[in-house]
Amino acid sequence: MLAYSLKRLLQLVVSTFGVVTLVFFTLRLIPGDAAAALAGDTITGEALERLREQMGLNKPILAQYLTYLWDLVTLRFGETITTGLPISGLLSQAFPITLSIALATITLSLIIAVPLGAMAAFMAHKGRKTLDNLITTAAMLADLMPSFWTGLVFLLFFSLMLGLFPASGMVSFDDPVTFLKRIALPVMVLSVTQIATMARITRTAVLEVLSEDYIRTARSLGWSEVRVLFRHALKNAALPIVTIVGLSFGSLLNGTVIVEFIFTIPGLGSLLVNGINSRDYQLVQTLIVFYALFFVSVNLVTDLIYKQIDPRVQL
Amino acid sequence: MTFMPVDTETVLRVQDLHTHFFTDTGIVKAVNGVSFDLLRGERVAIVGESGSGKSAMAMSLIRLLAFPGKIVSGRIDVAGNEVASLPESELNKIRGSLVGTVFQDPMSSLDPVMRVSDQMIPPVMRHLEVSHKEGEAIAERWLGRVGIPDAKLTIRAYPFEMSGGMRQRVMIAMALSCNPRLIIADEPTTALDVTIQAQIVELLKDLTAETGASMLFVTHDLGLVARFAHKVGVMYAGKLVELGPAADVFAQPRHPYTQGLLRSIPDAADGTRKRLFQIPGFPPDMRLPIVGCAFADRCAAVRDICRTEAPESTYRGVNHFASCWAPTGLDQSVVERQVKMPERIVEAELSPDPVRADALRSDVLEMNNIHKHFVRRSILPWTEAKTVHAVNGVSLRVKRGETLGIVGESGCGKSTVARLLLGLEEPTAGEIFINGSAQMVFQDPYSSFNPKMKIFDIIEEPLVVNGQSSRTERADKVCSLVSQVGLDQSFLGRYPNQLSGGQRQRVAIARALALDPSVVVADEPTSALDVSVRAQIVNLLCDLKDELGISFVFISHDLLTVRYISDRIAVMYLGEVVEYGPAAQIFDDPLHPYTRALLLAIPTPDPVREAARKIELVTGELPSPFVLQKGCAFASRCPKVADRCRTEKPVLRNFSRQRETACHYAA
Amino acid sequence: MSKTLLATIKTPGFHFPTISLPGKSLLNINKKMRIALLILVPILLLTAFSSWLPLPGPLQTNLRAIMQWPSLAHPFGTDRMGRDVLSRTLSGVQVSLLVGFSVALISTCFGIVLGTVAGFFGKFIDRAIMSVVDIFLAFPSLLLAIGLVSVVGTGLWPVIVAITLADVPRFIRLQRSLVLSLRSRAYIDAARTVKASQWWIMRRHIVPNTIAPLLVTASIAAAHAILVEASLSFLGLGIMPPAPSLGNIIRDGQTYLEQAWWISTMPGLVILLIALSLHFLSDGIREALDPRARK
Repeated sequence: MLAYSLKRLLQLVVSTFGVVTLVFFTLRLIPGDAAAALAGDTITGEALERLREQMGLNKPILAQYLTYLWDLVTLRFGETITTGLPISGLLSQAFPITLSIALATITLSLIIAVPLGAMAAFMAHKGRKTLDNLITTAAMLADLMPSFWTGLVFLLFFSLMLGLFPASGMVSFDDPVTFLKRIALPVMVLSVTQIATMARITRTAVLEVLSEDYIRTARSLGWSEVRVLFRHALKNAALPIVTIVGLSFGSLLNGTVIVEFIFTIPGLGSLLVNGINSRDYQLVQTLIVFYALFFVSVNLVTDLIYKQIDPRVQL
Repeated sequence: MTFMPVDTETVLRVQDLHTHFFTDTGIVKAVNGVSFDLLRGERVAIVGESGSGKSAMAMSLIRLLAFPGKIVSGRIDVAGNEVASLPESELNKIRGSLVGTVFQDPMSSLDPVMRVSDQMIPPVMRHLEVSHKEGEAIAERWLGRVGIPDAKLTIRAYPFEMSGGMRQRVMIAMALSCNPRLIIADEPTTALDVTIQAQIVELLKDLTAETGASMLFVTHDLGLVARFAHKVGVMYAGKLVELGPAADVFAQPRHPYTQGLLRSIPDAADGTRKRLFQIPGFPPDMRLPIVGCAFADRCAAVRDICRTEAPESTYRGVNHFASCWAPTGLDQSVVERQVKMPERIVEAELSPDPVRADALRSDVLEMNNIHKHFVRRSILPWTEAKTVHAVNGVSLRVKRGETLGIVGESGCGKSTVARLLLGLEEPTAGEIFINGSAQMVFQDPYSSFNPKMKIFDIIEEPLVVNGQSSRTERADKVCSLVSQVGLDQSFLGRYPNQLSGGQRQRVAIARALALDPSVVVADEPTSALDVSVRAQIVNLLCDLKDELGISFVFISHDLLTVRYISDRIAVMYLGEVVEYGPAAQIFDDPLHPYTRALLLAIPTPDPVREAARKIELVTGELPSPFVLQKGCAFASRCPKVADRCRTEKPVLRNFSRQRETACHYAA
Repeated sequence: MSKTLLATIKTPGFHFPTISLPGKSLLNINKKMRIALLILVPILLLTAFSSWLPLPGPLQTNLRAIMQWPSLAHPFGTDRMGRDVLSRTLSGVQVSLLVGFSVALISTCFGIVLGTVAGFFGKFIDRAIMSVVDIFLAFPSLLLAIGLVSVVGTGLWPVIVAITLADVPRFIRLQRSLVLSLRSRAYIDAARTVKASQWWIMRRHIVPNTIAPLLVTASIAAAHAILVEASLSFLGLGIMPPAPSLGNIIRDGQTYLEQAWWISTMPGLVILLIALSLHFLSDGIREALDPRARK
């Protein structure tokens, strides 16, 4: 297990390196460089050259790349071009917010989706189609609703019409209740998609397991259908569910960008959108790398969990 | 018939059972009125081909049918419990306690993420109302009784840590752990190798005798039935067409279907080779209504009444019943006529004496000291890769027009030999010479066809890729090929999934013949087929061999068929040939202890011979393929093992002029 | 395909002979496909002939009719500049469909070529292609598209390029896994035993059998691309106003959500309908090709 974890960690380092390289060279494709972006229309000619020199942009591209890599390894992310704020500071403020939204969404979704999916599968297996069809159709609809649209609809209903949750305001960890109320709507919006995905996967996985021979064995020993569902089917279906939690984390991250934008939450997503709008490439490139690293690490963790709970995998 | 109250001696009474599957494409009437009794301590075998409804019937007995299956009518009485109408909660008290069940595939029948203890102890605690400690003791005792060497260790294991044979033993221990009065075994040995199968059958036989439980054993293998059943029921199209004492049914079968099945199996004792009896056609579609006797279309003794009225089950001897309008089924003259009727006339003696012919023939195939190693690398770069020695120094020759049979259990390397012969794998060492070309007939005739191609294109493909002749010439060739394998030209426009298994295998043979090969390698060509269809294909292969003079390499675990079809046989064990020689001689007088064990394990469809036969079982299981044995590969399981066997590897050497064996102590 | 999580009904001991014509099956229009077409065809027709509808143009402002409730004259209401929301939505749908179909088409083509090459030839080419693919797959798809948009810029074609670039790796991976699983089929061995060339095997046996699963994925990818384009435009990173796109119409309405809910919600419903129909189409194709997948 340890050796496997090390190997996967090595893979993570390699793919991070790939990601960094890709991002670095792709951003160099942009016409006009960071200095020009920073300067805008105000500085031209010699002053712009001086700025370039200052930012190291006149060095050969390979040298710039190596400097950039070294900065990343030593965790020096530099400052934003436009505001001059340290990027590491921005990240350490924004990341906990995005992380709490993501974690809250996953927890809420699992609690709702797994029983729902298991129930649908159970009914489908017995040939009672009504409830199954209902859950399946609802899940399909929920899965396809664009999150920016769900976000606006929720905003309209829960915030503007019913006044249950605030749509804007400070986001601070100091007051947990206010914080939870503030992230409630974003979490709900994100959960709609996540619940749909997870319920569908749970249904498929449980349905698959229910027609396995060992389920029949358990029934032949006199166990009731409900016990067999919980003791055998869900335990076996846990493996694909864990995998899908990891994979759908990508779409969850996509969603955080949207909900943070709608509900004006100062997370990573808002930083990114602002960065792009102000053409702050230093910030954007750091953020994109950070997102990728985050996503890949989550997949690493779910992979390790998978290997841990499946006794058949011997490492 | 009125429903009789069950006396204490009757454990199971089934009356007029009907089970249907309500599928999207129609109602499949899987079981159509089955009635029988099972007495205390009695072992009944239910025999039938795939789709005969035998498993659906067995699963109906404890209502374990998967959706959309449903018991439509009939009564099932298990020791005084009316199963068909019992509420689910009551039924759960019977399942596992009064009725134990053993399923077909031991690889998938145990929960993969639970330890044996977690699957075995809770039912014992529940049904026998004992504490966990007592339950564990009982479970361990049963594991010991089914022949698991270290029960205390095994009970902590996960299923994946055990071999197929061991898992099936665990299944049996689970089924028996609550002292059931009835054991339902649904094809419990089908997924196992011959020697392991023999062990499991003996075990079930002994345990039911010891505990006095009755057993219902569902199988498609008539040989197994002869080995242990008191009573035999033959199922066809959802009905028990014949039911009677085993000795009686085997000696004097009354239903044409039973008679046909028994004749379609090659006879192990009979030295002369007769053309196998074949039942034409294939079973009816169970979604369509059946008028008259379901077997009428395939029956040689068919009369007018068979097509209009279904025969009732009638008395044919003491406790012997059959559903047929003809009192004795096929009469001898019908059988004789049937033998000569099919496509081509064949002499009773299929091949001339191989010894005499040897000198006249030349080798078409030669393998010299072939090795094939598969290296399985670990995910970690610094650990050593494991090597499987799939083929470990095999030398074989095949003469023109000769059929070489290769037999062995799974993992012995016989399929790898086939792939090497066809160039699908490169040998790690050694040389292969083929005079002409080799073609292949694969095991599963469905997956060996591209589902998007029509039969015509499938057979034509070899001609096209080899740039042969013009379009019209190719079309002519394809037409002559299909008629050669006994198919109609109307099949050419169909897709593979529109053909039955037997028809597909004929297409596979036609395709293999397209390039006029000198050798056809057939890897388990009949094992995916039902008994009645198997005979058709075996006959076809024999005919082609005689007509075209091509050589065959016939690879199978089905020893009776190999013996029937082959001139010579090579017996393989763990990647090595342990015995080689003329088929008849090997069968009559095996030299290698493994060959002897293998031959003893084959069940033959003759209860008298089975009863007379002393079965000495080979113990244990295959050693790990990753460890190269220092001495004889068979040493770990050999009854005659001596010290020399463990240190010195025996080589294949001449024993007599025609026979070779790799054993230090062959006599 | 490798072992997929398809719900199959197992009945012990039974083979249901499935008599279907695989060559023709794509023409068999089943229930799900019919539902898909029932939604998709009217939307296509409305979009194609939107200029003939009695509606003001999508850019035509009317300051005397700002933020009007949906009515017969303006079925989806009007926005803050008095523009007709339905008219804007329909021209947004044009953009969406263009994006969806171009992305699906281009991605499928690249996927077939690169995935087949990687899966079939293996070794060095495979490792080279797949390591690039893996790097792309390390990004969540929308974030990758956002990153790419910041490089290629905003507007219709840059957005299509960005979404396609983010999508192609998925197609390559799918095609490669299909090819790998097909390569181990017995009929490939059967073709090899008659000395069929690599090219023949690829053309006759592998690629034709990957088309069906690719079609299933392509229609999902089209729906996904439509959603990504809308998300980008919603974030102000896609198609820029005044050119209408479903995303930027919804973004436009966000500010006036309380006064004029219809500006945002109506185009959203249309996106949902399009996505739904493409999913039905995908399911329909899957069912037509694999009768066992029926629920």
